[in-house]
Amino acid sequence: MTQQQSSALSVEGLTKDYPGVRAVDNVSFTIKQGAIHCLVGENGAGKSTLVKMLTGVLQPTSGSITVAGRRHCPRNPQEARDGGIATLFQELHVVDELTVKENLTLGMEASRFGFLVNSKTDEVAIETLATIEPSIDPEARVASLSVAQKQILEISRAASSGASVIIMDEPTAALSEREVERLFAVIRRLRDANVTVVYISHKLDEIFELGDDVTVFRDGKHIVTKPLDEVDGRQQLIELMIGRTVFQQYEPRDIADAEPILQVEHLKTSLLKDVSFHVNKGEVVGFYGLVGAGKTEIARAIYGADKFSGSVRFNGKEIGPTPHDAIAAGIALVPEERRTQGLFTNLTIRENVPVMNLEKISTTGMLSPSRERQAAEHFVAQLGIATSSIEKHTEKLSGGNQQKVVLAKCLFAEADLLLLDEPTRGVDVGAKTEIYDVIKALANEGKSICVFSTELEEILGICDRIILLYEGMLEEELLNGEDVDIAHILNVVTGGAEHKGQ
Amino acid sequence: MSVQLKAKMAKGLKMSDEAFITLLVVSAAVFIFLFASLLVPNFFQFQNVVNLVTNNWAVISLGVGVTFLLVSGNFDLSVGGIVALSGVLAVWFAQAPGGANALASGFGMPTWMAMLFALFGALAIGGLNALFVVRFKIPSIIVTLGTMLVARGIAQVITHGSQRNTNLPDNFGFLGNIYLFGTSIKLPVVLMLVLVCVAVVIEKRTIFGRLTFWIGANPVAARLSGIKNARHQTHLYLFSAAIAGMVGILLASEFKSGFSSRGMLMEFDALVIALLGGVAIAGGFGSVVGMFFGALILATVTSAATGLVLSPDWQYILKAIAVFLAIVAQTWALTLKNR
Ligand SMILES: Nc1ncnc2c1ncn2[C@@H]1O[C@H](COP(=O)(O)OP(=O)(O)OP(=O)(O)O)[C@@H](O)[C@H]1O
Ligand SMILES: [Mg+2]
Repeated sequence: MTQQQSSALSVEGLTKDYPGVRAVDNVSFTIKQGAIHCLVGENGAGKSTLVKMLTGVLQPTSGSITVAGRRHCPRNPQEARDGGIATLFQELHVVDELTVKENLTLGMEASRFGFLVNSKTDEVAIETLATIEPSIDPEARVASLSVAQKQILEISRAASSGASVIIMDEPTAALSEREVERLFAVIRRLRDANVTVVYISHKLDEIFELGDDVTVFRDGKHIVTKPLDEVDGRQQLIELMIGRTVFQQYEPRDIADAEPILQVEHLKTSLLKDVSFHVNKGEVVGFYGLVGAGKTEIARAIYGADKFSGSVRFNGKEIGPTPHDAIAAGIALVPEERRTQGLFTNLTIRENVPVMNLEKISTTGMLSPSRERQAAEHFVAQLGIATSSIEKHTEKLSGGNQQKVVLAKCLFAEADLLLLDEPTRGVDVGAKTEIYDVIKALANEGKSICVFSTELEEILGICDRIILLYEGMLEEELLNGEDVDIAHILNVVTGGAEHKGQ
Repeated sequence: MSVQLKAKMAKGLKMSDEAFITLLVVSAAVFIFLFASLLVPNFFQFQNVVNLVTNNWAVISLGVGVTFLLVSGNFDLSVGGIVALSGVLAVWFAQAPGGANALASGFGMPTWMAMLFALFGALAIGGLNALFVVRFKIPSIIVTLGTMLVARGIAQVITHGSQRNTNLPDNFGFLGNIYLFGTSIKLPVVLMLVLVCVAVVIEKRTIFGRLTFWIGANPVAARLSGIKNARHQTHLYLFSAAIAGMVGILLASEFKSGFSSRGMLMEFDALVIALLGGVAIAGGFGSVVGMFFGALILATVTSAATGLVLSPDWQYILKAIAVFLAIVAQTWALTLKNR
């Protein structure tokens, strides 16, 4: 890179107040042209709020933004785009009814005399999509895609917008290593074309692998901006973020003589091809595979959310065909996508938490407000949900804190088997360890836990046994421990084992 | 500890969106009443306030069922038709057989039985709503528009497009004409007030009420959280139909007649007062108290218009303006509050 880099974007004294909260507090820093600039900070630190001000979704309470030397005060995302800033928001914004192709060009369609015409942007967008995930058909309806595929779609849309600054708010939260690698290739190509990328992620390894500079936020305040070369490793970055260090590693647990609680045999759906496995009492089992490998499908089938063929036995008995039956049998699920499947966004934290265990907050159908309040307060404290009150509407929480509410719902169900589909998606490093501690404690109490994750670190950190999936097939089962071979795991989940065998 | 403290502080400082909207609706009702009092002579009287409530017992009762359904994310446009159908059925069942002409002869059931069977007729329409909305997943606005026509259509066939009011037992007019302790307040009004109170408790303090909000706020998340959406929505449609059926029977008793055009456009009034009361058309938000005051707003506007000797032809336009303003004001107030 050149020595003398000009500034692509700078903010000066930027502040955003919500009623009762100062989300962004007098922030000033500069982002260099053609650099990959990372933003990190705890859940609720104010990252997304900053992004929303840069892109005109929110108006700053005070302060100013400068883009390419000009004052930038967009009133909506379209104006921000005209000013050269494109964004990939933390929450999905795809239109289910349209095709992939139509979604890719949404909001930047070329038109002539009011009629849509095919343009250069279409081609670039489709090409970008093909680079990151060739398996997605541009003519497919978005409704038929998985959450992760939708995320890839959004990434391609932002990356091919032709803007000079592209902001990505947690683009990889639902992606696995392979897609992340390809995304990084796209981002690096953008940098080579002198595009500035602002990159937000809670996955710190990504930050070190990809970033040029990093800005750390804490409690809405700007802590530091510096080149990543000058940051002394992961631990130092964590300390800057949360003011302390965290450390977590798998400790083998003694569960050899446990009896099986869940038995899955010959599970088949449109994606899954004859999957059989079992889960023991008190065991943490990790399911790892790429996007589309079938993790979510397994979780949903066990839970009765989707139809399947084959047999699922829990405590020796078949479970009924609906989520209601699964919960009654003692199974709870954290679904893949928090906003559409997990949360009641226009209700408060208090009203969200108890939904999966109505008996515990009521007597003969009458709600007990005090028990309901206690439950919410308990989880706000236990999971460290950053909020001014349990009466806060969940749509006003930051992404990571919303995820914690979904987890709280599931924990409140007091199930014997927890199916956690990306349980810590969007959760910061500090809070993650706390959640892992909760999971381990539950396992020690004799509960069984299935973790479905695209994050290998998470799988290796807490799971006793690991099940590897590739394209709907159970490829391998292995016990966790110090001698696990990461290269081998990555090889298996990318289909490497397959080709060797043939 | 600190969380609790913060929660308490926040409670003192901020109120929920729902409390805010309800307060807004109540203030609007009071304001509009005072404003009307300035314009219309003799409007500002206690008796007039009582009248606004008592004259609208039917629509407010229907509004309860409609509000719960709206909160759960569903429409019910069939209630007006059910009012007509159940009234006509009750009369037909109670009419003595062998009257002078076809419209004067019925089944000769005892009054209580005629009314009970009429209620079953109403529930059948509710069941039909539930069947098509819940089982066949047809949009509720279309289904209930259809059943509205079915219900009124049957009523028209039974009354030959007119009414049945002869050959009825004397006690048929009893229920609808009981006055309370020498006041001008009738039994149906009291029933309506009881219904509203019970509905408020159900809405705020029971699992049943909370289920309604969860389903309306996010049906997918509700299902994945173990809620039986289908069963609950079926219950709501049956309750709404039962309320409408009772309203129809009480009206038939009050007038000692079954009239096929009774309750015409009541389904729209019930919808309008719910919307005026801040119930969100998208589901997951709203309250019965809001709906009640929404009804008062509508009643004040229409009765003030009559007081101003505007011709009744203006009523629709007035209603339209009131609804439009109310919805714009609510959206605007909420964005302002949450900015
Ligand atoms: N509409 C709103 N009303 C009130 N407070 C809000 C609103 N939106 C966000 N906040 C608050 O602003 C703060 C910053 O939130 P923000 O979404 O910017 O966090 P974040 O850094 O992106 O966190 P995460 O990593 O969890 O996504 C949080 O405390 C949040 O509760
Ligand atoms: Mg965020």
